[in-house]
Amino acid sequence: MYADTQNDITRQVVRVAQLLLAYGAESELVEEISQRLGQALGLASVEISISSNSLVLTSLVHGRCITTTRRIREHGINMTIICELQRICLLTEKGIYGLNEVRKRVSRIQPRAYPKRYLIPMIGLSCGSFCHLFGGDIMAVLITIFASSIGMFVRLSIAKRHFNLLVNFAVTAFITTLIAQLGYHFELTETPRLPMAASVLMLVPGFPMINAISDMVKGHLNVGISRWGHATLLTVSSVIGITIAMQIGGLFL
Amino acid sequence: MDLLIKLLNDALFSSIPAVGFAMVFNVPKRFLPYCAMAGALGHSVRTLLLHFHMPIEWATFIAAAIVGVMTIGFAKKHLAPPLMYAVAAIIPMIPGTYAYNTVIALVQLTAQSEVSPELTAEVISNGLKTVFILGALSVGLAMPSLLYFRTRPVI
Repeated sequence: MYADTQNDITRQVVRVAQLLLAYGAESELVEEISQRLGQALGLASVEISISSNSLVLTSLVHGRCITTTRRIREHGINMTIICELQRICLLTEKGIYGLNEVRKRVSRIQPRAYPKRYLIPMIGLSCGSFCHLFGGDIMAVLITIFASSIGMFVRLSIAKRHFNLLVNFAVTAFITTLIAQLGYHFELTETPRLPMAASVLMLVPGFPMINAISDMVKGHLNVGISRWGHATLLTVSSVIGITIAMQIGGLFL
Repeated sequence: MDLLIKLLNDALFSSIPAVGFAMVFNVPKRFLPYCAMAGALGHSVRTLLLHFHMPIEWATFIAAAIVGVMTIGFAKKHLAPPLMYAVAAIIPMIPGTYAYNTVIALVQLTAQSEVSPELTAEVISNGLKTVFILGALSVGLAMPSLLYFRTRPVI
């Protein structure tokens, strides 16, 4: 194997690992896919070291090492891309894809999201179902659906303008809570506390928390801890939004 | 009979959030029904176990382990990572209200001039529940790969 081929393969493998991490895969999966892809393309071994915002990858073949580092910027969770990369890895392993096909498929990957007009009503209904499961009455469910749909609209609009995620969560939590406490002020429902709890549930960073714990359980402690820290920060910033809204509504203190 | 209706109600209303959050995570359209199925099964298993007075942490752990096994079946069938189905499926079981109560009590505690024992108790008990339920969820999900797929990949 010539040096430029090894260079080329290493570039594709590190690109796959970078995409996987940027779109929210857990570390164990990243390590597994990049090692399997590298070996399928003809490398002797691939070693990878992941930290909270970068990754270092070394490929070894015929006694020659290439080490390369990539910076990772979070892009939010996109399972379609992770699924596609996993499929590329499996097809390469079966010998259907060679290096050229891998390069073509990886360069063609584009993040696509569901359109707003489906996402907003679905999140509204989801939070409404949470409220129903907690035992809220029909008016409470309606308030929850309304508040969380508006909240989701705000969240998507802010995200489109590339604000910091923490600012986004605080503003969204503020507006959502402001609407959800209508039940208190107009005595529409018997259970006014539930819409406030249920409508901000769309802000709970469930995916980063699960990823964090499963990283830590599988031995990637530093990535796990940094993801846990990020999830905690997100929770704290949405709490700040909730608190300001509750103080404006005069609900405690 | 009441139990059956309760379980069906539970399954229906936990499949909606599973699909909703799967859409936030951009799960491809053809996999959404499987997320709904796994979410409905997981949450209704937990409700069934809670009905027989099992502590919520253990009930969550068993439900998450069942979801883990089920999603590995899906993953083998479609050649997709099992976590894709699993994370959407366990969203209805995430201890959102416990987390909410913890932080609200914490903020109230900060605003008061003296430390009140009721609020402290609320912070501690709700906070512990949150952490342990989250741990039960993710360790339960990881159970198949910890016990069975130890040295080989799932797909």
